[in-house]
Amino acid sequence: MDPAVIASTFETVTVAELWTMQARARDDLPFGVVGIDEAGITIIYNETEARMAGLNPSQVMGSRFFDEIAQCMNNFMVAQRFEDEPELDATIPYVLTLRMRPTRVRMRLLASRAAPLRFILIER
Amino acid sequence: MTDAVSEEEKFLEFLYAAPVGLVEIDASGTIAMINPYAMKHLLPLAGERDAGNLFAMLENCAPELRNLFDGFEQARGTVCDGHRIIAELRRNPDESEPKVLACTLVKLGANRAIFSISDITVQVAQEHRLKQAEVWFSSLLNDINDYAVASITSDGVVDAVNASWTTQTGYPRDALIGQAVADIFRRSVGDGNPGMVQQLRLAARDGWHLDEMWHVRKDGSRYWCQRLLAVRAGSDGELTGYTLVLRDIEPQRYSTDDVRRLLTQDHLTGAANRANFQRRFQREQKAWREHGMPLSLIMLDIDHFKGVNDTYGHSAGDLVLVRFAETIVKAIRPTDLLARLGGEEFAVLLPATDLSEATKIAERLRCLAADMRVETPQGDLSITVSLGCAMAMPDRDILSAADEALYAAKRNGRDRVHAVGGAAVAA
Repeated sequence: MDPAVIASTFETVTVAELWTMQARARDDLPFGVVGIDEAGITIIYNETEARMAGLNPSQVMGSRFFDEIAQCMNNFMVAQRFEDEPELDATIPYVLTLRMRPTRVRMRLLASRAAPLRFILIER
Repeated sequence: MTDAVSEEEKFLEFLYAAPVGLVEIDASGTIAMINPYAMKHLLPLAGERDAGNLFAMLENCAPELRNLFDGFEQARGTVCDGHRIIAELRRNPDESEPKVLACTLVKLGANRAIFSISDITVQVAQEHRLKQAEVWFSSLLNDINDYAVASITSDGVVDAVNASWTTQTGYPRDALIGQAVADIFRRSVGDGNPGMVQQLRLAARDGWHLDEMWHVRKDGSRYWCQRLLAVRAGSDGELTGYTLVLRDIEPQRYSTDDVRRLLTQDHLTGAANRANFQRRFQREQKAWREHGMPLSLIMLDIDHFKGVNDTYGHSAGDLVLVRFAETIVKAIRPTDLLARLGGEEFAVLLPATDLSEATKIAERLRCLAADMRVETPQGDLSITVSLGCAMAMPDRDILSAADEALYAAKRNGRDRVHAVGGAAVAA
């Protein structure tokens, strides 16, 4: 395996790494990875996140992420930050509703002007 | 993994995407299940409180919900239906209208209930406007002489008034023509209403604007006035001027307006709610900044209130809050505002009042609270209250200063007044 991939942790992984990483390697990460485009369409949804949410990735791809999958993030604490901050790297505690259970997680929000996708990393 | 979509996945997708919030709780409010829409609206209200408990998340903006549920004696049934929650977030007090959520709580058994929540902010704003319009247009059928009418240019200068204007306000026509309307309607201290400048702006945006407030006649007497500002537009839609109509009405009519009450009052005590407090507070701070008028604030917190709830029950606790609010409202001046900020925490806003006067008022309120007796099945109970006073200063936030003073009063033994910038007044 590529050593760069092994070194990618929740805290350190960059937008560029997430974007260029093989899909298989992304699926193997121990945390959830969601990549959305500027219109909020889900482009990347890794296996870890699918397992936590109980969803089938093929159904999630192409959905409007903040409206259909993760409305709980559709407020000023998450979705609005992507609108307001083109350069963003923030880790916040949050409560998700994975399989309708209130679940405490850590989320890392990543965006960069240079990258076409915005990323949300989710660690239980 | 397979691409075939299971029934469970379809079911989860359905709940993830539902545009209404659903929560299942036990009798203590602990959440068993919650969908994303519900969390989207509840989490921002939770602050530092437990996001795993529905009542804890709503403690600041809807403390009555827990009481409604605890007081519901039937084994199952609807506890509340379409109950409105005003969700004021301190984050942005400048936003014109607070978010309004409608919730329904249904008890399914001794230890199980289901809760739904939806965002009705837009509907409530429309309702409010419609209600105002209804009151206004139905009143038009009454005596036309009641209406003082002025014509105002697009620059905000009065260019004509009718005879009723002089009858209603006492000001002769000549004293008005050529004056800027914003100068005629300088806001008076503590009226808590948008100034004429803001009303002009809102009317230009919406086509018309209607508000009600005290007006002062030339002889100094005052009357409750409905004030309609309607835009006049040319054939191309360009703003050519305004028509301003004043009407002398009974203030009681105003206070029976249910929609307005829901938007401005605390459900339990009838004190102003957070949203209303924020609005008045912003306006009074602006007046202080622009005109240098002193502004003071008292924060009040009932001592050991949790003990009251634990010993005498939540309904006795509610009764204490109601009686406390009644006592305070009777003791303060008409220009002051009592608000319930959440739980057992209240604030009194005192326009045109300096710190020494505010401290005196606080001491009087402390004595009145200590003299209160509330009857309960377990006997009369009495309370004490801690109070923190602060005055607006350029270099510090008055709200946090009053908070600090309150904590100092608590720290020093409760049942006392502490003023920031002054010595503690002994109990």
